[in-house]
Amino acid sequence: MKRDHMNQENFSSSGSCSSSGKAKMWSCEADEAGDDEHFAVLGYNVKCSDMAEVAQKIQHLEQVMGSVQHDGLSHLASETVHYNPSDLSSWLESMISGLNPMPEFDSSSDPFLESSTITSVDNSCSVNSRAQMAVDLDFGSDLIAIPGKAVFPRAEPPVAPPAPPPPPPPPPQHQHQPLGKRLKTSPYLDNSVGGLQSEPVFARPVESTRPVVLVDSQENGIRLVHTLLACAEAVQQENFKLAEALVKNIGFLAVSQAGAMRKVATYFAEALARRIYRLYPSNPQDTAFTDMLQMHFYETCPYLKFAHFTANQAILEAFAGKNRVHVIDFSMKQGMQWPALLQALALRPGGPPSFRLTGIGPPSHDNTDHLQEVGWRLAQLAETINVEFEYRGFVANSLADLDASMFDIREGESVAVNSIFELHQLLARPGAVEKVLKVVRELKPEILTVVEQEANHNGSVFLDRFTESLHYYSTLFDSLESCGGGSNGSDGAVSDQDKVMSEVYLGRQICNVVACEGADRVERHETLAQWRSRFGSAGFVPVHLGSNAYKQASMLLALFAGGDGYRVDENNGCLMLGWHTRPLIATSAWKLS
Amino acid sequence: MDVLIEILKRLDDRSLGVAACVCRLWCALTRNDALWEHLCFRHLSPPPEGVRTVVVALGGYRRLYTVCVKPVLSRLGKMRVGGAAATELERRVWTRHEVELSLSLFCVDYYERVLLGGGGGSGGGGGRFGGESGSPPSSLMFLCKAVNV
Repeated sequence: MKRDHMNQENFSSSGSCSSSGKAKMWSCEADEAGDDEHFAVLGYNVKCSDMAEVAQKIQHLEQVMGSVQHDGLSHLASETVHYNPSDLSSWLESMISGLNPMPEFDSSSDPFLESSTITSVDNSCSVNSRAQMAVDLDFGSDLIAIPGKAVFPRAEPPVAPPAPPPPPPPPPQHQHQPLGKRLKTSPYLDNSVGGLQSEPVFARPVESTRPVVLVDSQENGIRLVHTLLACAEAVQQENFKLAEALVKNIGFLAVSQAGAMRKVATYFAEALARRIYRLYPSNPQDTAFTDMLQMHFYETCPYLKFAHFTANQAILEAFAGKNRVHVIDFSMKQGMQWPALLQALALRPGGPPSFRLTGIGPPSHDNTDHLQEVGWRLAQLAETINVEFEYRGFVANSLADLDASMFDIREGESVAVNSIFELHQLLARPGAVEKVLKVVRELKPEILTVVEQEANHNGSVFLDRFTESLHYYSTLFDSLESCGGGSNGSDGAVSDQDKVMSEVYLGRQICNVVACEGADRVERHETLAQWRSRFGSAGFVPVHLGSNAYKQASMLLALFAGGDGYRVDENNGCLMLGWHTRPLIATSAWKLS
Repeated sequence: MDVLIEILKRLDDRSLGVAACVCRLWCALTRNDALWEHLCFRHLSPPPEGVRTVVVALGGYRRLYTVCVKPVLSRLGKMRVGGAAATELERRVWTRHEVELSLSLFCVDYYERVLLGGGGGSGGGGGRFGGESGSPPSSLMFLCKAVNV
């Protein structure tokens, strides 16, 4: 009966699964419509309507575990620290609470116990409870038994060796992790997960107490997320042995997933591993490579284009009627933003103004004057479309090194300052962003356009940062998935190479958010609300981005494959681009008060 | 000859492509940019000032049409009307925003194509525009269609 309940749980979470039956495929897809969207982001597939039921089931499970006390499995329910090698309670407890919110576990007990509970197991699987052997759970072809996190002691069992891994079921689910691997890593995996302090040490072979956890592919996604979070928590508590073990698990679990989830998990696992083993990534010095990655990102998905177009629109409107304009770009890179603005200025009623551009960039490490090259190209373009153009490039290690006098603002010039994904990097050094905003004030710009990621990855608590960024990048990767091989074009407009490069570009950010600390951690994203208060206290007032910008942005997004997934939202005069319900980047414009 | 041009002016893009295959004279005629300008802006009363110089400088109307106008219109048209037929394209009236967007994209295309030398990965899209080879501008690949004009 208990098993039935648990089965039902699984059904409710697996949406459109057909009714239970031996030959049922567990790889059914969850019904997308009606899924709880918060859970969906995490990779769960829980229908909104089932939420209450799921919660109930979890409670029931807890009760069951407690009530089982009387059956002689008291150690299952208790949470005390045990060093008795044959005692699995705390370990199991951690398994269940930490990793499987809705587990279909079949806890095997001490071999000497009558495995009464096991026989009450799911009617769809046949269980042999051989006293000597570990419970050999032959679940039939449609269920996969995975030897759970545990743990077999590496000591050779005097009793017969554990049952061979169950045969993989016909549906190809890559979950038959060989026991051998588990054996080796057992001493570490013994460690509890998710906040329990026990460390059961298995000195005596107790292979018979192999607990097995039934999973299906949906569950694996859930386990993956839980393992990631558990690992992050372990890192936060500086429990590195545990974290190490979990990180290895993430690797295994990630492989069983497909698509975006797999990639995100892999990047996060790598970042966690770096943090654990202290192999901090050196901040990329190779700006050419970074620029190239950003170009691919630019091509693959609309985020950068959205940023450029909306910022350009704001600048265009601010420059209406002005004859001499000067744009200062904090994020010069390849200068992809400016051709469109030049063209719009060229065609504006009344003709183009004389245009001056100052580009700021990091020093390049290969002897080429990258900034000058970009300037030269833009000058050529400007000449082609008959816009008077002047360019100057500044190399600076950090924006905080700049000074207002460097810019040589001339009489009668209207200034605009533009920053795309640059300001958050200043938060790594205290006082830097205030200094830069002060410099901007001194320039007396008509408008300051800022585009930033809409997420809080700068909290002081590591675990919070981790969780936030996990959600954020999962959504981002999801949107990337829809970009590749879009509905247009016979051979797919966006090549796989572009997509992979974009993923690498994002992967670097993930690595920085998770693995780095202090001055190295430059990807300190903050939400629009946080930026608003910052700008407010620096003496700026918001400029509403008009309906022109909104319309243009909407049209632009409509052109992209997967266009219906993207949403443009207006938020108090600022525009946000998001994927489905989650806003991902925000454009805002400011002027001096 | 003038009559011929007058007739060609009234054709849609597909027919122009077909016409171009008739003979060398017709082929040369259909490549006349003025025709394409007419096609692009036929329904937009009077086209904005100075557009011609800019467009010509950036590659001409024929290219503008192929690269930007047609995909933009058809994509956005599909969204509004829901799978409209090709004739719908002709009768569609541009909105100002669509014009601006197309022109901006066109400019970006020029920048990438000519100045960046197709850097950043040309990738697929071999059949992008009939007869025009060379690495397709990357950032407009999302507009990519295997179309022959």
